[in-house]
Amino acid sequence: MKQLKLAYDALLAKHGMGAALFVAISVTLWVVVFITLPQLSMLDYSFRFNLPVDQLGTDADHYTLEQYRSFFFNNDGSVNRLDILILVRTLIAALIVTGIDVIICYPIAYILAHGAKGVAARLMVIGLIIPYWINEILRAFAFRVLFGSTGVVNTWGMQLGLWDAPVDFIRADVALYCGLAYAYILLMIFPIYNAVEALDHTQVEAARDMGAPLWRVHWRVVLPMAKPGIASGATMVFMLTAGALAAPQILGGPSSLWFTQVIYQWFNESSNWPRGSAYAVVLLVTCISFVLLMMRVFKVSVGEIGK
Amino acid sequence: MPDTIPDRSVLLDHVTIRFGTYTAVDNANLKINSGEFFSFLGPSGCGKTTMLRCISGFSEPTEGRVLIGGKDMAGVGPNKRPTALIFQHLALFPLMTVAENIAFPLEVRGVSKKERRKKADELLEMIALPGIGDKKPGELSGGQKQRVAIARALAVEPDILLLDEPLSALDLKLRQHMRTELRAIQKQVGVTFIYITHDQGEALTMSDRVAVMSRGVIEQVGEPDRIYNRPRSAFVASFVGENNALQGVIKGQSGETAALETPMGTFEARVGGGRKYKAGDEALLFVRPEQLIPGATENAFQATLARQEFEGATNHVFAKAGENELRISMVNAGLAGSLPGQGESLSLGFAPMNGTILPVGHMASET
Amino acid sequence: MNRNTIFGGAYALAFFSFLFGPLIIMALTAFNSSRFPRVAPWECFTTNWFGELFGNARLMEGLMNSVIIGLGVVALAVPIGLAGALALSELPSKLRSTLYTVLILPILIPGVVLGISTIVLWGQISRGIGAGFLYNGYFLTIVGQITFVSAYAMLVFIARLQRFDATQTEAALDLGATPGQAFRKILLPFMAPAIGSAAFITLLASFENYNTTVFTVLSESTFTTALASKVRHGTDPSLSALAVIIITLTLIGALTNEAFQRRKEAEAGGRASRSPLYANPITRALTHPGVVFAILVAVIGGITYAGSQYDSSQCEAAILQEKLDRQEALRAEQRARIEAQEAEQGVTVPKPDSAFGGAFGGVGTSAPAAPAPKVENNSAFGGAFGGIAPPQTEE
Repeated sequence: MKQLKLAYDALLAKHGMGAALFVAISVTLWVVVFITLPQLSMLDYSFRFNLPVDQLGTDADHYTLEQYRSFFFNNDGSVNRLDILILVRTLIAALIVTGIDVIICYPIAYILAHGAKGVAARLMVIGLIIPYWINEILRAFAFRVLFGSTGVVNTWGMQLGLWDAPVDFIRADVALYCGLAYAYILLMIFPIYNAVEALDHTQVEAARDMGAPLWRVHWRVVLPMAKPGIASGATMVFMLTAGALAAPQILGGPSSLWFTQVIYQWFNESSNWPRGSAYAVVLLVTCISFVLLMMRVFKVSVGEIGK
Repeated sequence: MPDTIPDRSVLLDHVTIRFGTYTAVDNANLKINSGEFFSFLGPSGCGKTTMLRCISGFSEPTEGRVLIGGKDMAGVGPNKRPTALIFQHLALFPLMTVAENIAFPLEVRGVSKKERRKKADELLEMIALPGIGDKKPGELSGGQKQRVAIARALAVEPDILLLDEPLSALDLKLRQHMRTELRAIQKQVGVTFIYITHDQGEALTMSDRVAVMSRGVIEQVGEPDRIYNRPRSAFVASFVGENNALQGVIKGQSGETAALETPMGTFEARVGGGRKYKAGDEALLFVRPEQLIPGATENAFQATLARQEFEGATNHVFAKAGENELRISMVNAGLAGSLPGQGESLSLGFAPMNGTILPVGHMASET
Repeated sequence: MNRNTIFGGAYALAFFSFLFGPLIIMALTAFNSSRFPRVAPWECFTTNWFGELFGNARLMEGLMNSVIIGLGVVALAVPIGLAGALALSELPSKLRSTLYTVLILPILIPGVVLGISTIVLWGQISRGIGAGFLYNGYFLTIVGQITFVSAYAMLVFIARLQRFDATQTEAALDLGATPGQAFRKILLPFMAPAIGSAAFITLLASFENYNTTVFTVLSESTFTTALASKVRHGTDPSLSALAVIIITLTLIGALTNEAFQRRKEAEAGGRASRSPLYANPITRALTHPGVVFAILVAVIGGITYAGSQYDSSQCEAAILQEKLDRQEALRAEQRARIEAQEAEQGVTVPKPDSAFGGAFGGVGTSAPAAPAPKVENNSAFGGAFGGIAPPQTEE
């Protein structure tokens, strides 16, 4: 509190009353009304029954764990395998997508930082950004065009004689994984690029000069430098993939739901908001704890490789 | 011009500035006279910039008062004080033209656009850069930027101009030229200049008076020649100019001079700062390299020539005497003169008035 | 040219093929008259899908809503982001990193969670104080989006603020400006370019957003949610036509920006006077960003006009005839087979009265069940044929 007051005074002295009030009010509004209150409200809602409007505020309207119970157990008391499995599968799929992105983005980030020069580097940056000005729905649609049973991949694959009948890439989730990996490439490349760019290129040359093969140079010199970038990129990609809704809706096979789609159904199709809120809380808590866990694991390994 | 000359003095009345437990300025107490060119000289971290920010109003003293023109400045913000500050990196506004930069103080005071332009042109005339008003600061050379910053500071018609190492970014030649120019501008406008620098050449050549600071304390205030010839502390003696220091014990004092016993012998020298010593007191003897005379027999000692550094007009000779290495500056007498060869023994001496005995204290290299 | 350079170049090429391949193929499908978006088999070159796109009332209504919401989001998120960046610049480091984490969190929280929490909160508020007017799609979407869009704006401002020389503000104060004057005359003009890019980024983010908006927009729809529901309920190449338009606009923007940056760099670096490109008045004028922009717009305008004049009906009729012929052949074949069966078994099997439904209707995998009204379509059967899968047509 005292530090907040000091910061406010510094703003007041530097930028005047108007600016200081503007900053104080805007930031308070943002933190309290836009960030904190909605989450608390959702948390509160998730502990309630799904009641019709006229029963709100009556005796029936009290706190309950019912919504969370229904995530873990079915009505007959057996374990709710369906929903839990969807959540686990979503997390695993998000992890796979994150892994794919790390693998395909690391070389590009390195080339961008240390290989490409002048015009080539500029073109690469523009080329990276342009696809992301295009609506995410359309990007997902592009993969549907690509992987549909009459899509280019199937047509060419069959023309080349790789397979005989159209392969259902949508049902096999190939289209979904590709679409998601594609969607967050930019969020992976730039953190890695920022981290790798700080590396003095002469270090790579020195290591090469001492006779280290390329893979070892990367393993011992470049990768340790890139670690924080990879960590932050992976965090973003993982969170956004696990929370994706549009791509699974458009590219997901009929049998494999994303956990966000379950939440969506509780809200928009079953109109059970407390249940949907509880599931949203489950998603949020799971994702955040998973990221925190991974960061901890990651930090340890950073320390080991740093030696 | 008004009939009465305004009071442009600054009085630091027992000013102490602390940041937490760290004391940046310790009990500074001095008066800067109206129309004076006054410098604060000291190594980085000595508290001189803190002092400047305190005078300009960016920070308030923890204890004591700052008086400008006889008025207490407590609670008066930097925009309300009759001071103008020239920042180390000038802080010209890059998005405004030169004329807009210079007229900015008038703009915020609500002066009309036409009058602003007129004043800006006048000031550009004064700094001998007419016709650059429509350029952006980015298009100017280092020296031009310097002068524009001065013009902008003078546009508020301040009583006090504060300069925070403004020449440090310039190259050597330009720096020397700007010294002369700054001094000329100061004479022309009659404003009190308070100049902050770690460069003793700048402080000594431009200033009417200099305050030497170290570790937050003002060690000595005085005219440049007095600072150089009559240092009052070991720090001033060692920081301003080159000096040889010998440690010893006082044998006795008679008036202005005392006898100091050192491992190299006993020497007569002037007592710095009019201090009184008892026999047996520890003290330091300082002798300037150019005041050590080879071949002298009075107040002298034997040394062995160790090495030389030739620098054109001057020869820097280093001689070993016991544990000490002494520095001697010799004027290059050309082909007519002769220098002792390496390893040769020679006698070195100095006039008692040119040696200074000072109490043991921290030296410049230890700061 | 050593081995590593070649390897790196090849990798970059493969990578950018992955990045642009899907977009290029999608763009191509916009010009194929095939009812299902695909490039092979190529039927006829057509520009009709563009007409169909603009005829989609729901999409166009969504576009209007997106503009309204986008402007609202920009108007709020840009100042909030600026305030966040300024607040961070004054806080001591520990508190600073805490606040930074809190403010950046909405970018990481799944969009659905933000959307849900927004409608739950404001639903409760509007019930609680009886302010039903707060509970509408526009307001909720703006409120929901600024939660995380402000963070994007803030990141832009933080980057710019790091390059601000704080002594500029001090100099202004020292020269007699009040803190407010220094803020308006020194800091804000310095931030101006960042305000521009923050406004652009927030507008784009608001426009693009689906996960949060699909909850908060309630019964209304924005451009993106309308688009998504169209994609989910069956696709046609008018979406590819939309992609073509967006890609074109993006390219114009990127090229103009590039010309602008190049020129600025050349001028700042003093190369302007030396470069032969800038010495010649004609090439100098041609590389001016405004001219680059005008030329691009003119070229694309010309192509658009030519495209709108192009009539693919003849080709489409030919393709249709071809299909009908093949269908007739198939029907004849079938008839022959049935007759043969009849002859064998002596039982009468009812003839399929619709060739479309019987023989082909079930073949297509993802064709829309009912053909949408098609502009300038001279064939009522066009929709039904869209469902034919390539294996059949290629025989």
